[in-house]
Amino acid sequence: KPDEMAADVHNKGVTWDTMNGSLAPVDRLRSDRSDSPTPGLVEGTEPGAGQEHAQHMFVHAQSFEDLTADSESNPDSELTGSSNSALVDSEEGETKEEEQRGGADNEEEQKEPEEEKQEVQSGVRLKEEDVTSEAWRRHRKHVFVLSEAGKPIYTRYGTEEALSTTMGVMMALVSFVEAGKNIIRSIHADGCRVVFLHKSPLVLVGVSRSSQSDRELSRELQYVYYQIVSLLTLTQLNHVFQHKQNYDLRRLLAGSEHLTDSLLRLLDRDPGLLLNAVMSLPLASSARDVVSASLQAAKAKSLVFSILLAGNRLVTLVRKKDQYLHHMDLHLLFNLVGSSSSFREGEGWTPICLPKFNTAGFFHAHISYLEPKSDLCLILVSTDREDFFNLSDCKRRFLERLRKRSAYQALQEALRTPTYPVSQVGIPELWHFVYKSKSSGLYTSPELPVPYQREEEHERLIGLYRYLHSCLHHPTRPLRSVYRCGDTENLFAWATSGFELYLCFSPLGTKALAMSAVTKLLKWIRKEEDRLFILNPLTY
Amino acid sequence: MTAMRVDAKVVMLGKESVGKTSLVERYVHHRFLVGPYQNTIGAAFVAKPINVGDKVITLGIWDTAGSERYEAMSRIYYRGARAAIVCYDLTDSSSFSRARFWVKELQTFEEHCKIYLCGTKNDLIEADRSARQVDYHDVQDFADEIGAQHFETSSKTGNNVDELFMKIAEDFSNSAFELMQDEKGVDLGQKKDSYLYTCCHH
Repeated sequence: KPDEMAADVHNKGVTWDTMNGSLAPVDRLRSDRSDSPTPGLVEGTEPGAGQEHAQHMFVHAQSFEDLTADSESNPDSELTGSSNSALVDSEEGETKEEEQRGGADNEEEQKEPEEEKQEVQSGVRLKEEDVTSEAWRRHRKHVFVLSEAGKPIYTRYGTEEALSTTMGVMMALVSFVEAGKNIIRSIHADGCRVVFLHKSPLVLVGVSRSSQSDRELSRELQYVYYQIVSLLTLTQLNHVFQHKQNYDLRRLLAGSEHLTDSLLRLLDRDPGLLLNAVMSLPLASSARDVVSASLQAAKAKSLVFSILLAGNRLVTLVRKKDQYLHHMDLHLLFNLVGSSSSFREGEGWTPICLPKFNTAGFFHAHISYLEPKSDLCLILVSTDREDFFNLSDCKRRFLERLRKRSAYQALQEALRTPTYPVSQVGIPELWHFVYKSKSSGLYTSPELPVPYQREEEHERLIGLYRYLHSCLHHPTRPLRSVYRCGDTENLFAWATSGFELYLCFSPLGTKALAMSAVTKLLKWIRKEEDRLFILNPLTY
Repeated sequence: MTAMRVDAKVVMLGKESVGKTSLVERYVHHRFLVGPYQNTIGAAFVAKPINVGDKVITLGIWDTAGSERYEAMSRIYYRGARAAIVCYDLTDSSSFSRARFWVKELQTFEEHCKIYLCGTKNDLIEADRSARQVDYHDVQDFADEIGAQHFETSSKTGNNVDELFMKIAEDFSNSAFELMQDEKGVDLGQKKDSYLYTCCHH
């Protein structure tokens, strides 16, 4: 029964679904798709799972941990101590996680006099914040990127120039601890967490006043790292610093600061980046199938991925056989398109590295809106930098086919209702939810209800989901489900091998009500899955 | 719809934020967007037909990003270009040294590409003469030296923008005509050679 599983703790590796005696293992065949989903739905049969198991759109993994795993440094496993050695030069023996508690007072003392000196320095751009001000210090989350020589590369707030000594101190801390064959992970002090991520040749530092865990912050720093790699490739990054250790990377990144700014905003607001999942545009499956087929037909030899976006929602994705896109790479593409007006006019043609695919080289992306004022943006990812006109022709053929089969009209209609109110589900106490189908890598979520539409409340709700998410994905003691009562809302989260579900209820609701709501919601999602998910992804 | 036909490839080059995109925007869409500066990512392509006499010539305009990050990539954008609009900001002398860099680059790799030096943001100079950092005559001398055309434009007011692109289209039209004449025309030296060749052959 659902109430029994609340707050149950299970060890990693135990298959939760089979522990529930009432649930028979479910086969992965289409014919076994259940009409009324039961908690036993395994991956591949949950609402939203693709029709044919062989045709996922995304890099596939069994768990969130697999998806976020990184060959060089895996923050997800750091707490278990099992892969710590991967973080230092391989020959080095034992490594220890270093947390400097109490030592942070010293750091504060070091920082202050240096920041005062900054006032003498000129070069603070107009409209930029004064980094010595209290307002600057009070920002909820700071992110800094520096080179191993301690040179500033990026700061979320203020100017890099004004922070060069502060970043010098950060590098000194990293080097000092590494000299002792240790790794500095974080400093907790004064309601702040300072999290370090050293991914040579870059050092990333996050300073947060929120309740986010070190792990979460470290994952966000990884995102920033990949954002930079996507602009330059790791090969070029390494090359530049091998050539000149104190190179000022801002020269190469000039004009890209707003991409990192906007990525950090997405990380605060978009549950997709938290869940490693993408939201699709609600669209009748018949129309979506026509769109997919039209993209499939408009192929070119060099084409690897064809992606159609509606704002920050995926309409469809067609890919080369055996080539999978990673969510992180898709989110980086979303971010690139969403934060640049430059693709509005004409057709964009830009080199882009998809770091989760390959950090060494550039793809070339043809990016254009279907119409100047439309939200529909087509991204054609090619391996050939000379292939612009070929891809431009693919777009033309795609549009032609779309119009001929009158799917364009349906698409325009769907754009008018890119979201749905939670009231459609018919559970009065349910305020909001996020449902992720693990096998398709897609999630669905209704529009934010009024109380959460203000920016701070929106970020607070995402913060609550983030907390629930961290409980479900705790590296050593993952919870299968969590129920939490609060003053302003009640929360429930549940993970099975097939899906993850996060719900936000009125604080007047009861736990029993929440449990019955889950069953009702899953039924509703199953009923609507044709529209809410992409069930028939195609390959060329 | 038919496949795109482009007669002449035109490439915009120059330091970032000199106003390459604004220039294209003014010429193609007849507007000037006010708002925060947004840098171009990679490059943007737009095709624009233009009437020259009784002919229609389609310019394929490549608006490239000024950021150094794309410098290594720039060859793919200017390769085969018939015209290059090398932009500099009249109020920023450093942007003119960058323009010189692009001129050198073009002279080395694209000798058949005509160069149009374009000083942008002329409206700022009109408003305040002291804002000028790049001397008109210096640029004119440089243009004469390299055989380039020289324009000063304002995308905000539209001043000289149409003239610039019209000149490019006309020059292209004339050179295409010359090229045609070359092929069909009588070349005495050539004739001699071929005559000689026929002789030897006999």
